[in-house]
Amino acid sequence: MSQAWVEDLKRAVYLAEKDIKIYFLKGPNLIFGLLLPVSLFISFSIGRTVDLTFAIPGLIAIAAFFGAGAIQAISLPLERRTGTFNLLLTAPISLFAIVLGKALAGFIYGVILSLAYAVIMLPFSPLPNMPLFFVGILFCSFTFSTFGLLLSAPFRDIPQAMPPATVVRIAMIFISGVFIPLATMPTFLQVVAYALPLTYSVDSLRQAMSGSINPQMFLIDLGAQVVFSLIFLAVTVWVLKKTTE
Amino acid sequence: MEIAVKVQDLTKRYPNVLAVAHIDFEVHRGEFFGFLGPNGAGKTTTINILTGVTRATSGEASILGHNVATEPVKAKEHIGVVPDTPNLYNEMTASANMVFCAKLHGVPKEKRKKRANELLELVGLHDRRNDRVGTFSRGMKKRLMVAAAFVHEPEILFLDEPTTGLDVQSAREIRSLIRELNRQGTTVFLTTHYLEEADVFCRRLAIIAKGKIITEGTPEKLKLSTQVEQVIEVSFDHTEDMADKLKQLSHVKDVITAGDKFRLHVDDPSETLPSIFDFAKSNHLKIVSINTLKPTLEDAFVKLTGLRAETMAVEKEQMKPNRG
Repeated sequence: MSQAWVEDLKRAVYLAEKDIKIYFLKGPNLIFGLLLPVSLFISFSIGRTVDLTFAIPGLIAIAAFFGAGAIQAISLPLERRTGTFNLLLTAPISLFAIVLGKALAGFIYGVILSLAYAVIMLPFSPLPNMPLFFVGILFCSFTFSTFGLLLSAPFRDIPQAMPPATVVRIAMIFISGVFIPLATMPTFLQVVAYALPLTYSVDSLRQAMSGSINPQMFLIDLGAQVVFSLIFLAVTVWVLKKTTE
Repeated sequence: MEIAVKVQDLTKRYPNVLAVAHIDFEVHRGEFFGFLGPNGAGKTTTINILTGVTRATSGEASILGHNVATEPVKAKEHIGVVPDTPNLYNEMTASANMVFCAKLHGVPKEKRKKRANELLELVGLHDRRNDRVGTFSRGMKKRLMVAAAFVHEPEILFLDEPTTGLDVQSAREIRSLIRELNRQGTTVFLTTHYLEEADVFCRRLAIIAKGKIITEGTPEKLKLSTQVEQVIEVSFDHTEDMADKLKQLSHVKDVITAGDKFRLHVDDPSETLPSIFDFAKSNHLKIVSINTLKPTLEDAFVKLTGLRAETMAVEKEQMKPNRG
């Protein structure tokens, strides 16, 4: 790896550190990251017989989904509104590294929130494969962080960025097998589900938490999330390039 | 002389506006270069292209030989930028902002804090280093922005309206800081509304209007180039606007109101002076002061851009901070 790449990556890490310091405790992050997943879970569970081993991986996935994405819905539009994004643009750091740094911050937030949920849920659900569960958390947090960036990239302010991002996320939750098994859904919805990253995240966490691992399927889940992440990163860079022209 | 900034046929087109139209200029290393023009002339767009905030539609720009479009990171290693609007994090302390900027610009770890402290001392904010920037006044923020832009000791400093909207004391401090940095060898690229500021500091100027560079040269050369007429400055003991009446006097080509004074642009002062005295007498006015003036940079600017000085004054006024 060339020296220039190493420097660019270092700067991406500095950017992530800064985002973590500034945005982790912002109100919308806490609301979306901590409260929304549990409120969605409770609303969907009331009056139903819930299979916890099925539902808990879904809850942890949406904690990562909202947690990793919540920081992005704030940091990027806010930086663009307040002018601090220009500080980054005028610094010797590539646009890709800026996007990567922001993705790293969301990733860490997603990992922390989903692990917090996992610890709380541990008494209700066994965790036979801790390492794979952790790998699943890492992959889904990074995927959702890049997805959050993509959703916020076209916007220059938080009130513009939040509503579409929330609508898209909530719609995805109901199609991706978080609460309803994919097998019970109509065929066309199953096709849509396989085009969404959350489906693969939920499946990988469900495999790790149930203990019945299908190695091939697990690798497909991880691979799909890597592909989604790369696409989200590339499209975010493209959108930012277009909107700063 | 080594070229620090080179711009060739640079054009920036937005959907409905041609913001910058095929401009060319060069800035030499160590120079204090002024880029003047009214609002909307294309100054900030040009700075934004040079500093990587936006991209040109066509043409080329380079920083110390690095093309800003094809080698943006290398080009940006050499520059510090003070934009016209705040660009630091309100949620972070002054010191944390400085250290973050130092990290982004690759200042070695062992030097970051020391450099941040030295610069905070230089801009008079060392005592406030642990306070959040959100609590700072506009002048303090601007001083911190200059310090942050200089934390990595860039060879070229871009300053977009650095003193606009500041109180007199803050503006003076910023000017003296920038002058000192230039004296130490930093190339300064300054855009400003304040023509007096440009006149005093800049070694060379370019004037841009409607996206095109109208003229380029030293401040004195620009003044001389427009010295086809002379100026009589007169003030009376009554302050009502008499510009229209004064315009009727013989040999007066134009009258510009400057505070309580009137500047009469004339071909030959000796022809006009008697008629001013007659005017005062017939209107029962006392002349408080009367002088013949050399053209100022503002006069040259007005002449070259076709803008009236009042237009610039209004623009300046709109950019002042809210008071009381």
